[in-house]
Amino acid sequence: MANLHIDNVHKSFGDTHILKGINMDIADGEFIILVGPSGCGKSTLMNCIAGLEQATTGRIIIEDEDVTEAMPKDRDIAMVFQSYALYPNMNVWKNIAFGLEIRKMPKDEIASTVERVADLLQIRPLLKRKPSQLSGGQRQRVAMGRALARDPKIFLFDEPLSNLDAKLRVEMRTEIKKLHQRLKTTIVYVTHDQIEAMTLANRIAVMKDGMIQQFGSPQEVYDEPVNLFVAGFMGSPSMNFIRCKVMEHQGEAHIRMEVDGKDYNLPIPKQEQAVRQRIGQTVILGIRPEQITHVIPQQDAGPNMASVDGKIIVTEPTGADTLTLIRMNDQEVNCRVHPREAKEPGETMTFMINMDKAIFFDPETEDRII
Amino acid sequence: MTVKHSERRYSEVTGRAVLYAILIIVAIYYLIPLAIMISTSFRDMNDIRFGHLIDLPSSLSLEAWRMAWSEVQIGARRQLGLRPYFINSLLITIPAVTISVIVGALNGYVLSFWRFKGSNIFFALLLFGCFLPFQAILLPQATVLGKIGLSGTIPGLILTHVVYGVAFTTLFYRNYYVSLPGELVKAAQLDGAGFWRIFWRIILPLSTPITVVAVIWQFTQIWNDFLFGVAFSSPRSQPVTVGLNNMVNSSTGEVRYNVDMAGAIIAALPTLAVYIIAGKYFVRGLTAGSVKG
Amino acid sequence: MTQSVSTPEPVRTVRKVRKPSLGDRLAEQIPRLVVSPTLLIAVVFIYGFMLWTLVLSFSNSRILPSYGFIGLQNYERLFGNERWTVAITNLAIYGVLFVVICLAIGLLLAILLDQKIRAEGFLRTVYLYPMALSFIVTGTVWKWLLNPTVGIQRFVRELGFEDFRFDWLVNSDMSIYTIVIAAVWQSSGFVMALFLAGLRGVDDSIIKAAQIDGASRITIYTRIIIPSLRPVFFSAIIMLSHIAIKSFDLALALTGGGPGFSSDLPAIFMYQFSFTRGQMGVGAASAIIMLMGVMAILIPYLYSELRVKKDDR
Repeated sequence: MANLHIDNVHKSFGDTHILKGINMDIADGEFIILVGPSGCGKSTLMNCIAGLEQATTGRIIIEDEDVTEAMPKDRDIAMVFQSYALYPNMNVWKNIAFGLEIRKMPKDEIASTVERVADLLQIRPLLKRKPSQLSGGQRQRVAMGRALARDPKIFLFDEPLSNLDAKLRVEMRTEIKKLHQRLKTTIVYVTHDQIEAMTLANRIAVMKDGMIQQFGSPQEVYDEPVNLFVAGFMGSPSMNFIRCKVMEHQGEAHIRMEVDGKDYNLPIPKQEQAVRQRIGQTVILGIRPEQITHVIPQQDAGPNMASVDGKIIVTEPTGADTLTLIRMNDQEVNCRVHPREAKEPGETMTFMINMDKAIFFDPETEDRII
Repeated sequence: MTVKHSERRYSEVTGRAVLYAILIIVAIYYLIPLAIMISTSFRDMNDIRFGHLIDLPSSLSLEAWRMAWSEVQIGARRQLGLRPYFINSLLITIPAVTISVIVGALNGYVLSFWRFKGSNIFFALLLFGCFLPFQAILLPQATVLGKIGLSGTIPGLILTHVVYGVAFTTLFYRNYYVSLPGELVKAAQLDGAGFWRIFWRIILPLSTPITVVAVIWQFTQIWNDFLFGVAFSSPRSQPVTVGLNNMVNSSTGEVRYNVDMAGAIIAALPTLAVYIIAGKYFVRGLTAGSVKG
Repeated sequence: MTQSVSTPEPVRTVRKVRKPSLGDRLAEQIPRLVVSPTLLIAVVFIYGFMLWTLVLSFSNSRILPSYGFIGLQNYERLFGNERWTVAITNLAIYGVLFVVICLAIGLLLAILLDQKIRAEGFLRTVYLYPMALSFIVTGTVWKWLLNPTVGIQRFVRELGFEDFRFDWLVNSDMSIYTIVIAAVWQSSGFVMALFLAGLRGVDDSIIKAAQIDGASRITIYTRIIIPSLRPVFFSAIIMLSHIAIKSFDLALALTGGGPGFSSDLPAIFMYQFSFTRGQMGVGAASAIIMLMGVMAILIPYLYSELRVKKDDR
């Protein structure tokens, strides 16, 4: 258990700059998720933390100890890999014991540790098997067991669940969460899966092009993305982005929106003061699909609820909701409506837009307008 | 409908028959030289002089085999027969294969998992060694072997085979190791294992298939070598290929084909045996040489 | 750009700095140390010796190496020598025929074997076994089979075809073709193995798609499968030409370069001038020409291989 500070870490290979100044303060016991498109540098960052690669400049500090130049073996870090990286020639027992053996742990202690971990992960019946005789989920458990046995200061998980099928993935996700609540070890976890990110993290770091775009709690990252990239990256289906103009209407700043030949003036919530200053300019309106929905009669139509009539292009029932595609300002917009309320493609229905949840981005800088 | 169906069946059956016929005829073409070699080696000279080229031996005579192995005079050598040459080949091949395979495995391990600045250039430099026409190094190698006193000796031939075989073994191991997940080595590093321990405990136990390929390849190459054998050996250190060639070309008087054939089989036996026992790996070695990466 | 954690650099107390130990720093050098002997081998025994041979080719070396510079005289002598002209002409004939026939037989056999043949494993073993033999053994066997007085010619005549002639081995116009026959016998199985591996690697769904499109089996082969084997053709041609240029033992065992020097090849020429005729300078010049021949084939190949690899990244 330890805290982890990443202090202005850069990593370059010749002229290729992979990491461009990463700063992270991670408290003891935190569960940190790294997300970002492939090639954003998250694997390199993991390798730098683990010591498998050397940071070009900057410092990595684990529990007040500067380990920037330390060897991987001296950092007391365990890592679970996407491919599990189980040693194919060793059985499960030996896989778990290998690291302990190298660290010269006494034999009886190794045995008790392996058994404790095996019980924790319910893999005791598998101890004598070779990795090739295990299913994907079992391999995943063994890989975690190998990491747990070492009782390291920090766990690194590199997309550990991405090779599992959907059902198993959900199960293992819950299990990892339980484990973390029980062990309270600091975890840095890389994933592509947004739900994994949202459900597991204490904080999420969204990376792009070797930089951290935003580092905050899951809800913060979801509700208050700092720029277009973060907004588009988190959430599925992703946030709608609609180019539109800020206009003055009856002495107030409004968003001018055209839906199927009709013009609407959508209110701009009070907290978005900066947008209200931009009269006559084009902005990008960001609104999540669940904020555009069918009319709910009993719901109090607050001042920032707007309604528009849209012709449905396509519907995609997901069971719980039906995703409905309409056009606003000639751009496709996803709306999430109750299956019973959804109409057929070609028909027109009335949608409620919750402008309280709308956020705005500058089309040039792509940053959020604050 | 039914007529059409049976017609189609008919043409399909003849098609298959033609196919098998071609394949079998070709197989016979490949086998005939070997068959003639074997049958001739068991015939006596009278039988050959007056009989057909392709004929079973009238009586099973081991005379030619004995002659080829230990009685025929080859050149001006005191020891008779191919036996001393065969032993030389063993003395050259076994150490040369062992050393070149070990060095190749270590090189491949470094080039796949412990890359350093310039390691790709190093690999490219070495790759060319696989295609080097040995004529281009024959004269300097002869000079150097002379200078270090290994000219015409078995250690000199071992050195030569190791030096020019390492390019191949490195290529084999490197191409095999890059197909293993690199995360294995990372995991072992985090577990605290170092360069040698990872090699012994993790990588080497996974290397059996490629080691079989590399050993077979090197064994065949070195056993069958003639150029180095003839250029860098003295009569005392000549390998069996040179012995066979001398035997076939130096016999005075009547050519004893049965002895020649028995000699050829003796020279070919080790590699042929390896091929029959482990043909799958042999083919893999051949094709691995052509799939560079 | 945007860093939500825009707090100023927190003051951090670092208790201690963990540096790798001296032993660890030394251990980091192990990989380099391990490959260094091989690097030395590559630099000295491959590249150094190639340069050395080049130097010898400009020198007045005869029985022993000597280093008097005589410019291009060795090359002039080489190309003025009728034997060398014959040798490179022979190499051209032999090389082209060997490569083309091996490719044709290899591809045909591979396609035939790919038709779900019952004894495929056995047949493959039969086609390929000559590759395990030494060229000297192959040469010895075929020397006998092709010998008109004891081999195939006599056999066919004994069958009743009294006028049958097959005396290429002793006919100086035809002797080079006997080398082609024996070399093809030895190497075509190898090409078959290459093509068979290539055929097995063709994506099954492409073939199924073509079948659904109504393509006949012949069309599928000529229009889809064979074109997709391009890389196999490429590497087979490289390997075969390489074998051809290096050919030494087979020719020596089969014809000895004869009759006369009618079936001489550059490799035999090089060996004899360098080691038995005391004309080391000319021998070195011929080796350099052979090296250039190999490079002419190899460099475009390696270039394209490396370029493909870069694209992959």
